[in-house]
Amino acid sequence: MSEHPNDYIKPELMACCGAREIQDGDIVIVGTGFPTMAANIARYTHAPNAKLMQESGVYDARPLRPALSVGDPCLNPGAAMIGGLVDVMGMFLQGGWIDVGFLAGSQVDKYGNINTTVIGDYNAPKSRLPGSGGANPIGSLAKKVLIISLHDTRHMAEKVDFITTPGYIDGPGSREKWGLPANTGPSVIITNKAVLRFDKTTKVAYLESYHPDTSVDEVVKLTPWKLEVSDDVHETEPPRAEELKALREILDPFRMIKIYEKRGYV
Amino acid sequence: MSKIMTTQEAITRFVNDGDFLFIGGYICRPPFAAIHEIIRQKKKDLTVVRSNTADDFDMLIGAGCVKRFICTFISLGLYGLARCFRRSIEKGIPHKIEIEEYTNLSLPLMLMAGALGMPFVPVKDMVGTDLMKIKSFMGDNKYKFIDSPFDGSPVMLVPALNPDVAIIHVQQADEEGNAQMWGIGGDCKWGANAAKKVIVSCERIVSREVVGKDPSRTIVPGFKVVAVTEEPFGAHPGYTPGFYDVDFSFGYLYQQASNTVEGFQAFLDEWVFGVKNRTEYINHYIQKFGYEQFKKLWAKFDYSYPVSYAY
Repeated sequence: MSEHPNDYIKPELMACCGAREIQDGDIVIVGTGFPTMAANIARYTHAPNAKLMQESGVYDARPLRPALSVGDPCLNPGAAMIGGLVDVMGMFLQGGWIDVGFLAGSQVDKYGNINTTVIGDYNAPKSRLPGSGGANPIGSLAKKVLIISLHDTRHMAEKVDFITTPGYIDGPGSREKWGLPANTGPSVIITNKAVLRFDKTTKVAYLESYHPDTSVDEVVKLTPWKLEVSDDVHETEPPRAEELKALREILDPFRMIKIYEKRGYV
Repeated sequence: MSKIMTTQEAITRFVNDGDFLFIGGYICRPPFAAIHEIIRQKKKDLTVVRSNTADDFDMLIGAGCVKRFICTFISLGLYGLARCFRRSIEKGIPHKIEIEEYTNLSLPLMLMAGALGMPFVPVKDMVGTDLMKIKSFMGDNKYKFIDSPFDGSPVMLVPALNPDVAIIHVQQADEEGNAQMWGIGGDCKWGANAAKKVIVSCERIVSREVVGKDPSRTIVPGFKVVAVTEEPFGAHPGYTPGFYDVDFSFGYLYQQASNTVEGFQAFLDEWVFGVKNRTEYINHYIQKFGYEQFKKLWAKFDYSYPVSYAY
């Protein structure tokens, strides 16, 4: 049994949940923040041969500080290869080489569709968001997609206002109908309250585990669709000592991960 | 033939109102010296393109230079959302720009297609999403959906892009415009080569002999280049690998300023209209924040092993 120190913060738990989805040898495309931390925790624990890349063109970077953007200067020195978007998004992602992609969204729905374009009507927006960037192609083409979200009715929806990035679109058969590669699509939604996985038949996200300070009832109440609960639903395993050690001592010594607490990840 | 000139001359001669511009950079190497000059010269009705954009495009939009934007993403990242862009879209300030939205796969490939002289390119993303439903100034030519002539499977095609002018900032170039770059590339190489004319802004002008010592670093050949401008710190507050780091506090200053129309205008008055060129900009920076702060941005040196091309 692993040791589980109880002084962790919620973003650390979420990063560890992400890390556990990565297998040794996986090729992972990451953004910044949670994804990088999660993927690196995996590298320093159970998946030493996982390789990371950023859409901007960097493969296997060795940053000495947490990267603050996918174009961060700290990603340059020490990387194994640097090209550009055509290399990473074209040759590697569209070429079919990416095992895991990490995405976050302003709004996520029950099929794992993600909205990063607009809240409200597209032509008369309540709030205009940044747009797809690399999210749509990652959601379209990575073999396994991990989604990070805040768990409330503002950030989760029965149906997103705008599908920027495809999850299972309208449900079973949708990805196939559009010709997206077989065996791709979202695999998990990691929130500040729970871990949701997708039902193989209905393609709707269901509750797999709830985080230590919450309950099945609370998570069901906070989810805007009728949340099915797994037969073996359980409490999420808290961060293991070795995961926290990698995170705090190697990856994020200044605990920049705390900024996610301010953003509501509590 | 030397194409060295000032940024002021390059923008005056080669950027016209209504032009279609590719502007390179990816936090890495945004050509800010040229962007500020475009704003100073009050260029207008521009169509601009790049994958992943930030404060540079936000500023052009806020200054009223942009009519149309072929985009994938715009944000100030860590600092927050792009306020000038949002004001334009949500409130029509200073005017509502038209946007055509793609992704960081399809857009770079459209530029690649343009560079390769291909009329269009098949892409595997965007399908099944609302990005297919929104069409702006490109209308039905935003994409076409066909059955593959080879195996009948559905394929999305997107058109090639050929901007009138590309503006990029690189580490070094020679007087003819052979442009050398290292570090994160974004869509810089394809965007530059897709354009009819290229303006190369660089940290330093080097001799043709220096270029020839490591020619694999050249991303644009001189024959495509119409102007070479030497602009040390030309990408500030972005960074140039091997020269200087991102200026986070200046990025935050822009974010704070651009929160309001008045703040944004004051920022332009101070940092764009208040200076004649990049040299005055840097002098103003040093006067305002001190030489120590300026020096802190300078890159450390950790040289690569020399390479040899000799036979």
